[in-house]
Amino acid sequence: MKLAARLKPLDTPLTLVAVVVVLALLVQLMGIDLLTRIVTVMFVSIMLVLGLQLYMGNSGILNFAHIGFMGIGAYTAVLFSMTPEAKVLTNSDLYPFLVPLHLPFVPSLLIGGLVAALFAALISYPLMRLSDAAAVITSFALLVIIHVVLLHWDRVSNGPRTLFGVDNYTTLWVSVVFAVITIFAVYFFKESRIGLRLRASRDDRYAAASIGINMVVMRWLAFVASAFIAGVGGGLWAHFITSFTPYSFYLNATFVVLAMLVIGGPYSVSGAVVGTLVVTAAREVLRGIENQVNIMQIFPQGFFGFTEVVLSVVLILILVFRPTGIMGNRELHWPRRRGEAKPAEPTETET
Amino acid sequence: MVNLEFIINTLSLGSLYAMLALGLVIVYGILKLVNFAYGELIMVGGYTMYLLTFYTPLPWLTVVILAVVAAMLTSLFTELVAFRPVREKSLTAMLITSFAVSTLLQNGALLIISPRARAVTLPQIFQTSVMIAGTSVPWRNILTILTCILTLILLTLLLRRTVLGIALRAAADNFTMTRMLGVPANTVISTAFAISGIMAGIVSIFWIGRSGSVTPTLGAPPLLVAFVATVIGGMNSLTGAVVGGFVYAIIISLLGVILPPGLVEFREAFMFAFVILILVFRPEGLIRSKTSVERIG
Amino acid sequence: MLELSDVQARYGAIIALRGVSIKVSQGELVALLGVNGAGKSTTLGCIAGVLRPWQGNISFEGASILGKSPEQIARLGISLVPEGRDIFPSLTVEENLRLGAFTQREKSEYRRKLDEVYDLFPVLKERLQQPGGTLSGGEQQQLAIARALMSSPRLLMLDEPSLGLAPALVDQIFELIAHLHKTGVTILLVEQNVDRTLEIVDRAYLMNTGRIESQGGAEQLRTHTDIEGIYMGVKTQPKK
Repeated sequence: MKLAARLKPLDTPLTLVAVVVVLALLVQLMGIDLLTRIVTVMFVSIMLVLGLQLYMGNSGILNFAHIGFMGIGAYTAVLFSMTPEAKVLTNSDLYPFLVPLHLPFVPSLLIGGLVAALFAALISYPLMRLSDAAAVITSFALLVIIHVVLLHWDRVSNGPRTLFGVDNYTTLWVSVVFAVITIFAVYFFKESRIGLRLRASRDDRYAAASIGINMVVMRWLAFVASAFIAGVGGGLWAHFITSFTPYSFYLNATFVVLAMLVIGGPYSVSGAVVGTLVVTAAREVLRGIENQVNIMQIFPQGFFGFTEVVLSVVLILILVFRPTGIMGNRELHWPRRRGEAKPAEPTETET
Repeated sequence: MVNLEFIINTLSLGSLYAMLALGLVIVYGILKLVNFAYGELIMVGGYTMYLLTFYTPLPWLTVVILAVVAAMLTSLFTELVAFRPVREKSLTAMLITSFAVSTLLQNGALLIISPRARAVTLPQIFQTSVMIAGTSVPWRNILTILTCILTLILLTLLLRRTVLGIALRAAADNFTMTRMLGVPANTVISTAFAISGIMAGIVSIFWIGRSGSVTPTLGAPPLLVAFVATVIGGMNSLTGAVVGGFVYAIIISLLGVILPPGLVEFREAFMFAFVILILVFRPEGLIRSKTSVERIG
Repeated sequence: MLELSDVQARYGAIIALRGVSIKVSQGELVALLGVNGAGKSTTLGCIAGVLRPWQGNISFEGASILGKSPEQIARLGISLVPEGRDIFPSLTVEENLRLGAFTQREKSEYRRKLDEVYDLFPVLKERLQQPGGTLSGGEQQQLAIARALMSSPRLLMLDEPSLGLAPALVDQIFELIAHLHKTGVTILLVEQNVDRTLEIVDRAYLMNTGRIESQGGAEQLRTHTDIEGIYMGVKTQPKK
């Protein structure tokens, strides 16, 4: 009884974690390789989308640079996690001082996150003062800059060529652990004083300023935290997919992550998780249809892009008819017994 | 080597970029919306040219006009179906929508036509040159410059001599006040999107004229250019957009000549870093105009 | 002609109007008085269709205009000159006026109104081709009113027209308003300059924190209501 009362304020993250763990157990039991892969990358996506939610949901500002930070994290992490031999094999042009670096998996991930966060911290402070419209445009510019640098800095990233030979360290349960940690972290951020203050200034910046909330610092902290999560997520993803190019961290990925967050609901942690689940499932189904059509050769020139077309239409429909996403503003809660009071919910606000 | 050839090339590029930026700013000025799907309008123009030159015997002039019309209609359609329902909600919703429309159009082309590049048969004139002062100048470049001048004249006439044009400019100053004078919001916005589509269509002619082929991802590079040119010129002014386009062309061409081989590939990154600097330190752009950007810090 | 019944409006979570009911009959010059934040501009905004009340009704010439868009309301003949004038800075004086006549279909009528406006505001005729942004505050105010007049409005609403103007110009503005009233234009005036306003209006409403505190004829208000008190926040003796 006492334990249940203690856990009550945590019931949202616990519910989400339960969903993740149960899903992982099911997949483990079923033992289907393809399914395990899909769910593993889905958990990594949950982490990435949660990172975006931390910033967008609380500050209300669209951040296009998120996937750029994922890329920074990915490229940094593999620089540390790969053996010198593997590195030279994939990128003979690599800077000599980068070759001998070698660290275990988790420290590599963390360094990836830190580098992304550091970059975000340095670059973004002056940007936090901008109006919403300008902030979005600058975040897009950042994405392009990161992409162009990754694309042309051959001696670090192998340029447009594929970087291959990354060890497949990201297993199902590794991704589960990181997803769980991120769920708690993002939830605690939301409920923390920083999160609260950030949302207050999102809703009314002048009122917030008048009670002493320094919106610029709050935004900056959220941005850096968000970049850290993206960086670690990027590292995780790199060690799942084991080979990639800078194009993996550009507009396509940005679209998918944005779709997951917006369809699920950008204003709640549950929204991020639910959105990732729903969109991943939908994509797999649609991809399956695409492949089937291609196998049956119904269209001579190939059947590609169907998944993205459907996804973008759904995204537009959500924005028109239900801008707060599947979850609205609400969080998931543990199903309650009859008679128990529901926790107070915030009233709906516009996007 | 900054010689006559370089100058004409840069002028031609500047003309192209100026028209490109105009199409983006005309919508931004009123709605404060960066239309991410703008690049795809150029792609639509390109695919129209491909389909018409491949499947029909229509003369090039007709093809080109139809390409412009196609881009305009697509622009109007996306406004009606995607942007109008979301307009009242928030700018963020519109931005995400424009991103979604961009993805939709890109993958629509992928789906309906092909992921592979399609060659567009260019007319003779795009492949010939003329001698001016001892240098061989491609006709295409001259046409680009002339088209730009013509477009600017027509646009200026529209914006200064017609009531609708005056209403458009007023809407860019103060959209709400314009409505309070009885000007229908939908008419103004649709007109802006139509002009945006027409500019995209015109740009597509010369963009394809340079590359000779069209792919579903054709729209991304011009969008980025329009982006930078618009910010340089100050996002609220049409004159600024034109100047921004020329400035961008000049800078990127000069960088191409000045920068050493190791740095030249990063030209674009430099331009975008430049964009961020402008937005932070001089958001009204490099051109003097009467706009201001809201700050909170 | 115009009737607001129990209009309630808010900005997000902030309640701006708590049940405002006012009436303006044809040909009247009515004022809305009150300190900053009382809700005067909000009331005008609701009438003009810029802000949508969440309760109550607004009717114009018998028909409800609640929920209509600003352009629809403008076409019904309601013109608002907002606080801060809101002239178009990058348009010339002539273009500003041209746009003011947007709802005007007849070319001849447009010419006639233009001449009227030139008579009332000769300085505008001098500065016809200048961009609105280069005009002085007083000239911009004149342009804003002139622009509103171009559509021959059935109801003219003015939000603090004398704000920020030099005393001589303030006189001019009030004379102008009185003159327009004489020519039969129905006017709803929001002002902070209580004395001058009460000199020229038929009736006035006194607003405070989103409500109508008192109302009545100009004379009545001057002698019986503690207007100074409301403005100063202290109680003083009513004037005799």
